[in-house]
Parts: sequence; structure tokens; C-alpha cells
Amino acid sequence: MTFFDLGLVLASVICVAGLVWRVSKWCGRPVRNSAPFSPLKGMQAFVVDVLLLARTGRQSPLRWIGHTLIFVGFMGLLLFHALDDQITSNFFFGYESTLDPWQFLRNLFGLMVLVGLGIMTYRRVANKKLRELTRFQDWFAFLLVGGIILSGFFLEATKIMSPRVFDRMVYEYLVVEDGSDLTALKAVWADKYGVVFTERLPMNEETLARGMELDEESCMDCHSNTSSSFVSRTMATALTPIGPALNRSQATEVFWYLHLLLCFVGLAALPFGKFLHPLTTPANLIVRQGRRDGEGETPSVRKGLGLDACTRCGECSLHCSVAPAFSVMGNSDILPSEKLISFKKYQQGELFGDALTAFADGSRTCTECLRCTDICSAGINLQELWMEAKQAAQVQRVDMNMAVRQLTPKGRIQTFECSDCKPDIYGLADNKESYQGCVQCTTCTSVCPVVAVCEDASADLDLMPQQIMNLLRMGMKEEAMGARMVWSCTTCYKCQEHCPQNIRVADVLYELRNTAAVRMRKGNQ
Amino acid sequence: MTTDNTIYDVMVIGSGFAGMAAALFAANRGLNVVQAGSTGGIDFSTGFIDLMGVHPIEEGKRWMDPWACIDTAVKEMEGHPYGLLSKDEIAESITEFTAALSENGLDYVGYDDRNTCIMTPVGTVKRTYRVPKTAWKGVEALEKKAPTLIVDFFGLKGFSGNQLVEVRKKDWPDLRCARLEFPGARGELYPEHMAWQLADASNREKLAEALASHIGDAEYIGFPAVLGLNDPLSVIAHLEELTGKQVFEIPTMPPSISGPRLRGAFDRCLPAKGIRTLSQKMVGAVTVGDDYMEFSVGKGAGACMVKAKAVILASGRFFGKGLKGQRDKVVEPLFDIPIRQPEGRDGWHEQQFFDASGHPVNLAGIEVDAKLRPLNKEGEPVHETLFAAGAILANHDWMRQKCGAGLAIATAYKAVKSLKG
Repeated sequence: MTFFDLGLVLASVICVAGLVWRVSKWCGRPVRNSAPFSPLKGMQAFVVDVLLLARTGRQSPLRWIGHTLIFVGFMGLLLFHALDDQITSNFFFGYESTLDPWQFLRNLFGLMVLVGLGIMTYRRVANKKLRELTRFQDWFAFLLVGGIILSGFFLEATKIMSPRVFDRMVYEYLVVEDGSDLTALKAVWADKYGVVFTERLPMNEETLARGMELDEESCMDCHSNTSSSFVSRTMATALTPIGPALNRSQATEVFWYLHLLLCFVGLAALPFGKFLHPLTTPANLIVRQGRRDGEGETPSVRKGLGLDACTRCGECSLHCSVAPAFSVMGNSDILPSEKLISFKKYQQGELFGDALTAFADGSRTCTECLRCTDICSAGINLQELWMEAKQAAQVQRVDMNMAVRQLTPKGRIQTFECSDCKPDIYGLADNKESYQGCVQCTTCTSVCPVVAVCEDASADLDLMPQQIMNLLRMGMKEEAMGARMVWSCTTCYKCQEHCPQNIRVADVLYELRNTAAVRMRKGNQ
Repeated sequence: MTTDNTIYDVMVIGSGFAGMAAALFAANRGLNVVQAGSTGGIDFSTGFIDLMGVHPIEEGKRWMDPWACIDTAVKEMEGHPYGLLSKDEIAESITEFTAALSENGLDYVGYDDRNTCIMTPVGTVKRTYRVPKTAWKGVEALEKKAPTLIVDFFGLKGFSGNQLVEVRKKDWPDLRCARLEFPGARGELYPEHMAWQLADASNREKLAEALASHIGDAEYIGFPAVLGLNDPLSVIAHLEELTGKQVFEIPTMPPSISGPRLRGAFDRCLPAKGIRTLSQKMVGAVTVGDDYMEFSVGKGAGACMVKAKAVILASGRFFGKGLKGQRDKVVEPLFDIPIRQPEGRDGWHEQQFFDASGHPVNLAGIEVDAKLRPLNKEGEPVHETLFAAGAILANHDWMRQKCGAGLAIATAYKAVKSLKG
């Protein structure tokens, strides 16, 4: 069994097994009343969202250019180069990989992919938030695709330079009548096509003319001028000084193995992580039929498809309304792109301990604003997933807010007294200077929308904001912490903005809640 | 931090009566205006526009004629800010100010030549110059001593019908009161939320229903000022229709809804006149350049830099943060303008908190020239284009003299006039 066959079989087996494993996870409970599928809309989504990448274009022109270059380039290489035996040679009469336009197109497609990768890398490096989101698999995908293309270019460049390849071709296709003919042909190939021979060749007109004749007779049917492979030929020209060394060390073989090896790795990696997105994302886009909302209950197979359609572009996290909460709390499960990974683990029952707590907290922090679902270039119904995640969080981990509401006023004080641990950011509530200027004018309460919607504010909220400030001033923090006003605050900051004495009312309430949450968590452990 | 590259004609620092008035007058005169200031005192206003009511302070003598009171006070008090203005200027300023309020849904009523007597939330009577139309029928009822019902609500603190009746019953026997459950909310009540509730017609109907059995022979019904936030006159009209009686409001304890109504009217009026309003932002620092001054306004992400050729300092007194009391002296924190003040902290206050003559520190403030430009130690203007208006000025006791709003509006008018040249 050759290296090629062995590699192909191995990679294919891994790929197929992985696909089965991945798809098998999609199935679960059946759902009735799912949205009907319209083939017309599906077709429209295929053209607009899949082929034209319209949803990527909505995110940013730069990402659209980058992704389109990679998409077109890679598909071109896959269909016309990798699958040339299956596709190109069957559909195009007289196909030879070394003839134009194929030789030129191969270079063009490869260059497109490299430029696209460059743009995508720039995007991930230049944007600090995106840089932080980028995981190993994202860089690995870039490296692998870039590696396949570059090794291909090197393979072609070293082939162009290689006298060994020249000799093999001559042996197979040319009947040499005398030694001078071979020299003449060599001279032409060295002069016009870039082969790097070790011996000195006569470059006079006569020899070259004879060489051209031979070239026309025997070579040109299958070989366009190597200059049309504009990337590889340029590389070959640049590498000419070390050409003999490359030829001696059989660089052509090395790059051939490398190129194939990387391709096989790519094939084997297909079912894993984001590598599956070239299959799942188009499928999901077609299934979603161009929708950007979060409505409807999706059958679990489609939901599984959606979960696996993530390209990890990170745009959802860049557009997340509560992303600032991540920068303060450091819980990456607040960000949609990261929460999605935890969600998958949660579904597989692989999430425990602190990771599960983080997932529950992150899910609760979501405001269901729909921005992630709207911006997602893969068309994933994220909104629906987050609603499910919230329900799951409710069951798995105590929601401090709910827990406090269920306590009696006395119970609240006892709960909060249990320890003296502090939240990440503190120092306002214990500092009497925070409230020194308070004149108890009730402006904070008057502007408070939470108080405004209460039918009976004193019964529903225990204490009004200005009363909490007064309690704290008297050092009664434990009592203040239990007030449901603290736990009902929406942190809209109206109180703080309107306070004539510039007291940080909302910040204080927030700190109280964080302090209580830390204490309760400690108490629960 | 954002930077606004416009060079404004004038920066108004302060968003109380003086600041709002200065911004309004400047914009009316075609100036390009930027205004900054946090909530400040206007939210604590009764909504009345006092002109002048008491002089001398120590006697607590009340005047029905504000103009005569002003003349006497100017003669007898050294450097009273009203001395910098003519009667016409004062009258014009009040007219222009109330006209703008009227355009924005807040009608004001009063006499040109005399003060109006009006009831306060504790039942006392004060003299003021202009009252909101929503309160005007209370003036009539008080004058005629007409049969009147005062309504208060369970849960609303600082407003007691019983107290009003108790204080006034000697000269107003037909004054009665009733306490009702407030429709739409229970427990502790706050005026702004009540005002929102009563903006809903169905709640007004419930209120009228609950009220019906209490009205009796009353011709007037007085409510705490909670009758709608943005359109109180239509709320009152509806209640009058429902009850068949004359309805008026009495301001509640500060912060009464009257303050936010005033602020609301200006929030609508000033931006519409092209003024750049930096609401809820205080001026943190100022750099004085050759051609313009540069101000850093606000904090954190919302902070911005603005430039202006002139400035009207209407930052108020201690509560408005225009004056700052240090251990040993009172300072003006922004321009470090010298403050006329008692020698040493011991001289700030009299022994008795309720001393009839007030406290010397109440007269502290910045002194200005005839153009309302603050003066430095040498008696020269601190800056050619720096003007001051309102309570920050020295030599008046607006609270005891009942001249807060009038003095703020009139000095703002004069400052704009001087600035315009």
C-alpha cells in the first residue's frame, strides 16, 4: 500500500467515524410543530447566505473579503485540483494539471486562500477582544489551511526547478535522437521554464531554436509555460540560488509528502471542532432559510446542526450586550461564542463543578437581546439555545436572586452574616464617606423605575434606595443586604445620575448584591 | 473622553434657575450656547417664582409689593445683587422666562405689581411673584376663604391635610381635609410615581370615585402636587370635570414634583433652541486660553471637552457645588474666585440655628462689577468674559428674603445682556 492510499484510507476512516459520532449527538427528544421548510426559501438562502456569504457581509466588509477569498480559493482547489481525477478530467476534455488555465487557476486560487488567511489573521490580531477569544483550534485551522497551500506552492516551485523531474519526463515522453537534442531541450527549459540544472548549458540561439522545436513537438501539448503558475514560478526564481541544494536534498519529494500529509490531516480533522463548519454552516443556513430571529421551537436534529455550525468568528461576542459584564467578572461563559462550547459540554453531561457554576451564571447574565442571533453569520438560533441554557441553569445552580427572595427577612441576615468574604470589587459599602453627602432627599427613590412599577413598594422591596443609604451610613450592612430593593435593582443608574450629592447609589447596591452572592456561595460549599 | 471642536459663544455652568435662564436668554439672543450641570437645586423647587418678599431679615417683615421691597433692600443692604438691575430689566427677565415655560406646557400666573399669597405644604402662607397655573385656584380659595377640601393620601409622607387645617383653621373655618387610599399604588408613596399613575385617566376616575363622599359643600379641592408629570393642566381639567369642583395643587415637601416639571420643561425647551445641553454632567476643570476657555465636563466614558469664548457661572451655592466649604474658608472650586465671607469659621454661624437674622455665611458669595463679572482681590474682573449669576453671588439671603428664583433669573438676564455688549 502506498503512502497516498494508506493516508487517504486512514484519514477517510477517521473522517467518516468522526462525522457519525458528531451527527449522532444531534438526535434527542423529538419536537412537534416545528416551522415548515420551504424549498424556495432554502434555495434562496443557499444562494444568498451560502454562496454569496451575505450574512458575513453584514458583519464586516473585511471579514467578507477574507472569507470570500478563502471560500472561493479553497473550493476551486478542492474541486479542480484535489478532485481532478474525479471532476476536472471527466468534464474538461484534454485536462492536464500542467496546462493553462488549470495551472494558472491553481496559483490564483492558492493565492486567494493565502490572502484571505492573511486578512482573517489580521482581523483576529488587530481586534483585542477577538484576540482574547481566539482559541487553539482557530489558530490551528489557519495553520493547517495555510500549510496545505504553502506546501503546495513549494511542491510546485521545487518541481519547476527539479532536473530530476525533467529527466523523468524526458525518459517517459521523449525519444532522444542524439545528446545535443537533450542539451538543447534542457537549455530551453532552463532558460524559459526555470529548471535549475547543475551543468552549464550552451545558451546560443542555435541551441535554443532546436530546443524550442523539440519543446513544441514533445512537451507543449501537456505543458504550458511555467510562468503562468505565477506564484510557484516566482518562488522558484527566488529560490534559484539554493536550487541545487534543494534538488540534491530531494525537496520535491519532501514537499509532496508534506502536502499530502497536511491534506490528510485536514480531511481527518473535518469532523472536529470548527473544522466541520464548511459542511454544517451551509446546511444550517439552508435550514434556517435566511431567518435571523429566535422564534419557534427547533427539532433537536436541527438544533444539533446549529450547535455544530459555529465558525467561531467571534462576532456574536463582539456584539454581545452584556460583554462588559465579562470584562468585569471574567466569566467567559457570558460571551455567546464561549458559552456555546460550554453548552455543548453541558448537553453531553460533561460539565461539573466550577465550570457548571460559571455556565449557569453566564446563562443568567444573558438579557436575551437577540443581538448574537441577529449577527450570527452561521444563522444559528442562539436565542433558543440561551433560553434552554437559562432553564438548565435554574435547575443546576442556585440563582442568588431567587434564593434571596425565598428567604425571610431574618433568614437573609443569618445567611449573609456567615462569613466576611468579599467580592472582586468592593470598598464602597463599608466606607462611610460614600454616603456622607446624603441628605435623604428621596430623589433616588423618585426616579427609580423599579419602585415606580411596584404596587406597594415598601411591601415588595422592603426598603427604598435612600433608606438603604441611611442604613449603610449607620453601619447596618447586613440588614441592608437583605432588602429586596438591592436584589431588584436593574442597575439603570438613574438614581446615581440624578443624585444631587453625587452618591454612587447604584454602585453601592451592586456591591451589596455581589457581597451577598459571594457569601452565599461560600456558605453553600 | 470626546472633544467638541465647536467654539461656543458661551458656556453656562449650572442647571438650576440661573443656569436654565442664562442658557435660554443667550440662545434667544442668537448666541451659540453649551450648558452643563447636574441635578442641583431645581429638583427641590416648589415651582413658585419668588421675586422678593422679606426685608429686613431679622424682623422677618413681609412685603406685598416686591418692587418696594427690592428698593428698600438695595438701599439698606450693601451690595445686594438686585442693585445691579433696573426694575424694567427684572420685569422683562421674568416675562421672558415664564413665556418660555408657557410654550413648554407650564403656564405661570401672578400680578405685575404685587406678590401673591399662597399656602405651603405645612399650612403657612408665603408671598411669591408667579405661581404655576396648577396652583392658582389655591390662591383664589385662600383669598376668598372658600369652602375647600384638602386631600392627602395614605403613604405619602410630608403632606398632611390635618396639619394644613390645624394651622389655618382660625382664619379659614371652611377648610376641611380627607385622607384617601391612592389609586394604583399602596404602601410608601413618592410624588413622581404618583404623578405617573395619575397620568392614567382610569386612575383619575377611581380617585374621583373615592373622593365623592368627602366633597360635601366644598367648592375647591386641593391636592398634593402629584397631578401628572408632563401635562398637569389636562389632569386637573379632567379631575374638575369628574368632581365638578375647582381643583388645585399644593407643592409637597422637596423634592416636589414641581421641580422635575420645571426641569422637564427646560429639557424640552433648551435643546430645541439649539443649545448643547450636557445634562447630569458637572464641569470638572477649566483652562483659560487667549481666545477661549476649555472645559472638561463629566466623568468616565461620558466625559467631554468643550470650548467657549465666554462663561456664565451659575453653579449655585453649597448644595449646587458652586461654593465649597473648607475647614477654614469658603472657596469657589472652578475659577478660584475670591469669596466675600466672614473672617474665620467661627464667624460663619450665629449661636442659634433658627436665629432670626440668619447666618453670616448665608451672605457669603462672589462679588461682581456692574456687568456681573466676578472680581479678584484687586477689585478687577477675574476675566474679561467671565460672568456670574444666581445664588453664588454675595450679599443676599435668598431663602429668608424669598428672592431665589427672581434673583437667579434677573441676574442671568443681566449677565447675558452684558456679555452680548
